Amino acid sequence: MLDCKSISSSELIHETFRLAKQYQDLNCFVTMNEDRGIKKAHSIDQADSSHSQLSGIPMAQKDLFCTEGLRTTCSSKILSNFIPPYTATAVQKLEEAGSIIVGKTNMDEFAMGSSNETSYFGNVHNPWRKGYVPGGSSGGSAAAVAAGIVSAATGTDTGGSIRQPAAHCGITGLKPTYGRVSRWGMIAFASSLDQAGPLARTAEDCAILLNAMSGHDLKDTTSLDVETPDFLASINQPVKGLKIGIIKEFDLGDLDSEVQARFEESKNLYEKLGAEFIEISLPNISASVPTYYSIAPAECSSNLSRFDGVRFGHRADNTEDLNDLYIKSRSEGFGEEVKRRILIGTYALSAGYYDAYYKKAQQVRRLIKNDFEEAFNSVDLMMTPTSPNTAFAFGSKGAQNPIELYLEDLFTISSNLAGLPAISIPHGMVHSLPSGLQLIGNFLQEDKILNAAHIFQQNSEFHLAKPSMEDF
Amino acid sequence: MDQETVRTICYLARLEIDKEKSEKIENDLETIIELIGGLQAIDTSEVEPLYSPLEKTALKHEDIEASDNQKEKFLKNAAASNKDYFLVPRVVE
Amino acid sequence: MTWETVIGLETHVQLSTKTKLFSRASTTFGKSPNTNVNLIDCGLPGVLPSVNKEAFYKAIRFGMAVGAQINQTSIFDRKNYFYADLPKGYQITQMDLPIVLGGTIDIEAGDGIKTVNITRAHLEEDAGKSIHDEFDGYSAIDLNRAGTPLLEIVSEPEISNAKEAVAYMKAMHQLVTYLDVSDGNMSEGSLRCDANVSIRKKGDLELGTRTEIKNINSFKFIEKAINYEIKRQIKVLENGDTVTQETRLYDSSKDETRPMRSKEFANDYRYFPEPDLLPVVISDAEMQEIKDNFPELPKGKEARYKEDFGLSSYDAQIIAASKSMADFFEASAENTKNFSLLANWLIGEISAFLNKDIIEIHESKLSPENIAMLINRIDDQTISGKIGKSIFEEMYKSGSSPDEIIKSQGLEQISDDGAIEEIINTVIQENPSQVEAYLGGKDKLFGFFVGQVMKLTQGKANPQSVNTILKEKLK
Repeated sequence: MLDCKSISSSELIHETFRLAKQYQDLNCFVTMNEDRGIKKAHSIDQADSSHSQLSGIPMAQKDLFCTEGLRTTCSSKILSNFIPPYTATAVQKLEEAGSIIVGKTNMDEFAMGSSNETSYFGNVHNPWRKGYVPGGSSGGSAAAVAAGIVSAATGTDTGGSIRQPAAHCGITGLKPTYGRVSRWGMIAFASSLDQAGPLARTAEDCAILLNAMSGHDLKDTTSLDVETPDFLASINQPVKGLKIGIIKEFDLGDLDSEVQARFEESKNLYEKLGAEFIEISLPNISASVPTYYSIAPAECSSNLSRFDGVRFGHRADNTEDLNDLYIKSRSEGFGEEVKRRILIGTYALSAGYYDAYYKKAQQVRRLIKNDFEEAFNSVDLMMTPTSPNTAFAFGSKGAQNPIELYLEDLFTISSNLAGLPAISIPHGMVHSLPSGLQLIGNFLQEDKILNAAHIFQQNSEFHLAKPSMEDF
Repeated sequence: MDQETVRTICYLARLEIDKEKSEKIENDLETIIELIGGLQAIDTSEVEPLYSPLEKTALKHEDIEASDNQKEKFLKNAAASNKDYFLVPRVVE
Repeated sequence: MTWETVIGLETHVQLSTKTKLFSRASTTFGKSPNTNVNLIDCGLPGVLPSVNKEAFYKAIRFGMAVGAQINQTSIFDRKNYFYADLPKGYQITQMDLPIVLGGTIDIEAGDGIKTVNITRAHLEEDAGKSIHDEFDGYSAIDLNRAGTPLLEIVSEPEISNAKEAVAYMKAMHQLVTYLDVSDGNMSEGSLRCDANVSIRKKGDLELGTRTEIKNINSFKFIEKAINYEIKRQIKVLENGDTVTQETRLYDSSKDETRPMRSKEFANDYRYFPEPDLLPVVISDAEMQEIKDNFPELPKGKEARYKEDFGLSSYDAQIIAASKSMADFFEASAENTKNFSLLANWLIGEISAFLNKDIIEIHESKLSPENIAMLINRIDDQTISGKIGKSIFEEMYKSGSSPDEIIKSQGLEQISDDGAIEEIINTVIQENPSQVEAYLGGKDKLFGFFVGQVMKLTQGKANPQSVNTILKEKLK
């Protein structure tokens, strides 16, 4: 992708902005970075020194990352006027590697959602079908890559928010091991679950991006003090003899027959390449969704307390006293899903309920993690569909019952709870919409899942499919 | 989920819910609480809670100043401030 | 009806680290508003805390000094509530697993020493400051103090009266200053006291309802506030009413406590372990280093002053009681040999001046070198003790050295016998009737002659020489 010297950075960036304007109906960008972006492209062209792989590459940055001097909103009204005075480490590393920020992408408000329908700035369209969701919460980033506006984007994944939109948009998205990428400057949703990661067309590109984004950061006490390996080094290893686990407790028989079919076909492809499939048991895996929906709202209810209208962000007018200021600013500033999760989280932490909900969930979390640890004794990685469904029409899920949307995260959520790396790659269409295949790796073993994903892509063409974009 | 509980958690979170939406929100909350209440069935006696996926301990840094004064930038971001302070409606203690 | 008072004290000690508990911003007091604030202290979106190790070392020193259990693994928790000077909407503190558990402090109680048990001590970050009455209709928020490390020390409810409470706080002050844990400055807020006070019938085992008096910032006010509250609660109970459990503030201008504005809902702080910080572990090596570099405490200094400087028990105890005074004494003692004269001056004249201004010696204009010089000048008879006192007064006011003052005011003592003899001759010549009366048996007139000599020499004549020569002349 990123290696052709046949086009200058300036030409590339101008083309990028042209495409962004052409496809603005996708609504995947909240703020554009035209002036600074073009300036940087020019200086890269002038510099003439040996360029790194990401030099001059335009990238879309999810609007959850603080970018100095460039509006950062988390797709929320409460931050609609927020200009951060600093840049997130992950973004800074990508910039230092030469990439250029094209703009900040639309997302579910504060990363809470699975369809990019909760944004203050409106829904993002799936490039494959107008009026359909791109997935969430990193919907804008996924759509921008799928539409070909950019070839690389960042997202964040707390319960599946990189992998699931990648699946719905037919591209590749990776959630690293918890602690692999610094969370400094990444506006916190659920601190013990959030991770930043790349979205691109291929596993190889994701490896390049992950190389740049990763690394120990003294400013983030939860970032791992480990050497970042070169994720490209072993990406071409043959998968012969690779042991891939199929999770017994995920009964795929309930899924759409086409989704099942794609999964079987992918299994067959890996078997043809010499991989071996082993059934493994994760006895507590079905508790993932309730566990997640106790922990994530609890942590977010606390993380979002700083949005109080006092030092930054939206402040309501005509308030009588401090409490009134808090209540009105927050109620005006937050959308419904965010409010719901804050309330659930507050409840789960409150006196009398803490043990039954929050603490209980963290105990079950340990059981889930232990299950994975045990299972990884017999397999190298695990495989599941990324999502039980493909993209759906705006408003068709979750309007009556929020849990409908929560269940979209069924396959992705457990890796966040256990802190494990996972990747989603396209593996075909289901009813003319993209479907994704998920590979889950053991702690710090992104190289294994990138390798398996890359070999799959060397032996298939699903990742090359592009939407026609005729409706945009 | 009774009215009193809802009022309390709304106050703790400094959120107010429009009257028209309150019934839906209450139903939603009840549904979600039912979902997460399902964990009660799992036996977790003797299980230590896992508050972070990392089995590591905190970094500690040296007691040396390393900070820029960004007073103007911070005050500028606020909805109400003067050249020295963030301003809020007067609090009576 | 005999009533018994039960008091428990919560002390918030601001640690004397250079930077904050979770950020690298400075903790220097008195800076202009919102200048000691960085991204983390401001609670901006996306920021993360990181732990200042020195804060832990200071907390551990305290724990070791009171014989407490040190939890080498401790955990931070979030305490969630909304207030204008709490930027994140939560305070990072320690709930379930604090750094220090248990320990004791000895205090001077009515008839001897009383040992007060400490429940626990934990680290937490301080909030910013709100100023409510300076800007019309607004409260102003200054975040300089936000994030400063605090050690919250909780005593068991074993204190029985206001005087013991003051003794406890004084012992706490001595301890934290000696340990270089805090500068203990109550007026600047480095040492704050919340008092939990309840009353019960004498002999009752159950505790009565307690009220909490918050943020008392001087020893004097601690005594007054507690005494007022005791009287108030007794009156309530004697009227047959019950004491309301509430938080109260002490109003020093009216010498009374009044309730803080009550909140509609009780606060549920929803504590949970801080997910951005992992458990903090202090290694055995770090513990050993703290032990190896443990500062000398008052008892150690007392013994050393008696041994090395020959001070009396009494003098040693008084000087060692205050770190400020002890440090000053030790520095001064490097420049003089007359330790007991130095001690006398420190305990006597110098302390009198300091007490009048309610300051400690390190806050004054005096320097150890200058005081040593003063002692030396008296010791070598350049000046008399009496002149020394007026020189000292000038030193206290201006910070000048004794030599500078002696020179500028020409105060050298006249010790030359010849010169003194001349002056004595003059006095004798000018006062013949007194001489006659003295020689006739009025011994008391000796003092008159001494006075006259002193008058003529502006007090500079060496008193011993005057005595000797005068006696000789008046035979």
